[in-house]
Amino acid sequence: MRLRSSTVRLGLLYLLGGVFGVGALLWTVFLLTERAMDRQVDLVIETEAESLREEYRGGGLQRLVEVLDQRTDDWGRLGAVYILLDPQGTQLAGNLSAWPRQLVPEGNWSRFQINAVERGREIAHPVRAAVVELDGNRLLVGTDLSDRMRFTARLRATTLWGILTTVALMALIGWWFSRRVAGRVRGVAQACASIISGDLARRLPVEDGHDELDLATAVNGMLDRIEQQTQAVRTTFDSAAHDLRAPMYRIRSRLEAAMIDLPPGAPAQAAMQATIADLERVQRTLAMLLQIAQAEAGGGGAQAEPVDLAQMARELGELYAPEARERGLLLQVNAQQPAFVAGQHQLLAQLCTNLLENAIKYVPAGGHVELHVWHEGPRVSLTVSDDGPGIPSEARAMLLLPFRRLDRDAQAPGSGLGLSLVAAVVRLHQGTLELEDAGGEAGTGLRVKCSFASLPVPVPD
Amino acid sequence: MQILLVEDDVEAAGHIVTALREAGYSVQHCADGREGLAAAHQVRPDLLIVDRMLPQLDGLALVQALRGDGALMPVLVLSALGTVDDRVEGLRAGGDDYLVKPFALAELLARVEALLRRASGDVRHVGVLRVADLELNVLARRVTRGGKEISLTAKEFQLLEFLMRRVGQVVTRTMLLESVWNLHFDPQTNLIDVHISRLRQAIDKGFDTPLLHTIRGSGYVLRDGELAG
Repeated sequence: MRLRSSTVRLGLLYLLGGVFGVGALLWTVFLLTERAMDRQVDLVIETEAESLREEYRGGGLQRLVEVLDQRTDDWGRLGAVYILLDPQGTQLAGNLSAWPRQLVPEGNWSRFQINAVERGREIAHPVRAAVVELDGNRLLVGTDLSDRMRFTARLRATTLWGILTTVALMALIGWWFSRRVAGRVRGVAQACASIISGDLARRLPVEDGHDELDLATAVNGMLDRIEQQTQAVRTTFDSAAHDLRAPMYRIRSRLEAAMIDLPPGAPAQAAMQATIADLERVQRTLAMLLQIAQAEAGGGGAQAEPVDLAQMARELGELYAPEARERGLLLQVNAQQPAFVAGQHQLLAQLCTNLLENAIKYVPAGGHVELHVWHEGPRVSLTVSDDGPGIPSEARAMLLLPFRRLDRDAQAPGSGLGLSLVAAVVRLHQGTLELEDAGGEAGTGLRVKCSFASLPVPVPD
Repeated sequence: MQILLVEDDVEAAGHIVTALREAGYSVQHCADGREGLAAAHQVRPDLLIVDRMLPQLDGLALVQALRGDGALMPVLVLSALGTVDDRVEGLRAGGDDYLVKPFALAELLARVEALLRRASGDVRHVGVLRVADLELNVLARRVTRGGKEISLTAKEFQLLEFLMRRVGQVVTRTMLLESVWNLHFDPQTNLIDVHISRLRQAIDKGFDTPLLHTIRGSGYVLRDGELAG
C-alpha cells in the first residue's frame, strides 16, 4: 500500500481519530472509576471513625474496646484495620500488632504499609487510615487498600486492552475498507483507460448488491449508449464507404475496359485518363475521411503495438527526401534515439506523412523542413518545422477541422483533410498537438508538434 | 491457371473477368458467397478473389470456411472499406493480400501474378540473387554488376532485393509502398518513381543492357533485357 494513495491516507486519518476518541473515552472512565473508589474508601473510613467516636462518647473507653474487639473479628476479614493506644502507648485493642512506624501523612489522612506473610511470601498491604484523638487515647481506623489496588490494576489493564483491541479492529476495518475502495477505484480507472484507448465494449466492474458506491451500473448504462451511437456512426460510415466506392469501382473498371478498345492517341483516351486521375483524388479524400471517422470513433478496436517513431521518421524522411530535393527544399531528419509509443503504426505513419507532405507542398523552394523526434521527459515528441509562410495563429484551430483551408491556399491541390487526420490520430493516441511559429514570431514558418506518452524500448523477441 | 472470382457487383466482375482472361487465366465467376464456397470446393481453383461484402455468405466467412477445410490456395480480398482494421481483419481471416476498391485492373493483375508465383514457389528465397550480370548477396549486403561493386542505401538495397526476388514480374507502386516501406495507404505524390529512378541510375547507368524497366500504367519490372518479356 502506498502512502500516496488517498484511500490509505483517509484510512490512517480515520484510524488516528478513532484511536484518540476511544482512548480518551476509556481512559476517562478509568480515572473516574478510580476516583469514585477512592472517595468510597474515604467515606467508609470516615463513617467508621465517626461511629467509633459515638461509641466512645456513649460508653467510654470500655465500650470502645468491646466494639473494637467485635469489629476486629467481624470486619477484619473485609480489610478493616484498627488499633487503639492509651496515652502511655499501651495497645488496648485492634488487629495491628503495633502502632505503624512509618505513618505518611496525606492531608487529613495517613498512609502506611503492613507487611504480612502470606503463603510463605512477604507481601506489603498498603493501608489508608484516619487517626482519631479521644482524650489522649489514639485510635487509628483504616482500610487495607490491596484489594482495591488489585481491582484498579485490573481495570487499568482491561482499559488498555480495550483501547488496543479497538485500535487493532479499527485498523483492520480501515485497511479492508481502503483496500476495497482502492480496488474498486483501480478497477474503474483501468476500465476507463481501456475505454479511452478505444475499447468501447469494455464496462466498469459491477459489485453484487447496490449501494451508493455503485456508480458503475449508471456509468455502464451511459457507456452502452455511447457504444451504440459509435456503432451506428461506424455502420453509417461503412455503408457510405461501400455505397460510394461501389459506383466508383464500376466507373473505373468501365473506363479501363473502354480504353483498351480505343486506338492509341485517341482524344477520348486523354479525357478518360483525366477522369481516372480525378477518381483517384476522390478516392484518396474518401479514404482519408473514413480514416478520420474511424480514428475519432476510437480506432475500431485494433490493438495498440509499440511503434518506434524515430525509426518511422528516418524511413519516411528517406522516402520523402528525393521529392523534397526535387522541389528545392532541404529535408533533414533528426531522430537518433529509439522513441517508442503505443499506437497503430499505419495511423502514426499517416500522421507523419501528412505533416511532411504539407511542408513540402507549402514551403517555397529554397526552404528548410526538419523532422525531429526526441524524448521530452516521460514523453516522445515529434515535430515537423519549416521556414515557410506559416499559419496565422487565429486560423490554427480552424484548420484542424475537416475541409477547412486557408484562403491563400485555395488553389493548391489537396483536400483540407491532412491536419484533421493528424488531429484525430493524436487524439486517438491521447497525445497533444501544438501549432506554433517555428521562428518564435508570426510568419516565421510553422512548427507542428505532436507529443505522446513514451513506452520503454521493447525487448526483441 | 484457374481463378475463382466471387463478386456481387456483376458489371465490375465482368470487366475483371475479361481482363484476367486476356491475361491468359481461366476464370469462373460467382455472385454470392454460398455459391462461391460451393464452387471453390468443386473446382479447387489456383487462386480465389473474393469481395468482402457478399450476399448470402460474407467474404471473410467464406475464406475462413475454406481455410477450415484445409484449402491452401492464395486468396485476394477485395474491399470497399479500406480502413486499417478492415485490412487486418481480411488478412487475419486467411486472406493473403488485400485490395481496396476501386483499383486499377493493372494493379489487380500484378497482385494476381505475385500471389500465383508465390504459391508455386517462384519467389526466390536464396541468399545470392542473380539477374544477368547483376548480383545481390543478401547476407553480405553487397551488390555487384559485371563484377563492379555498387553502393546502395539500405532502402535501395531492400527495393532491389524485392525486385530481384520477383524477376520478370510486374511490381506496382502500391506493392512497393506496402512491402518495402510498410505503408498501407496512398501518399499523395509519386514518391516511388523517384526512388526507382535513383536505383536505375545505380544499377543500369553505364551498362549496355538496362535491367529495370517501367511498365506504363502498371509499375516496374526487373528482367534480363535479352529475354523476351
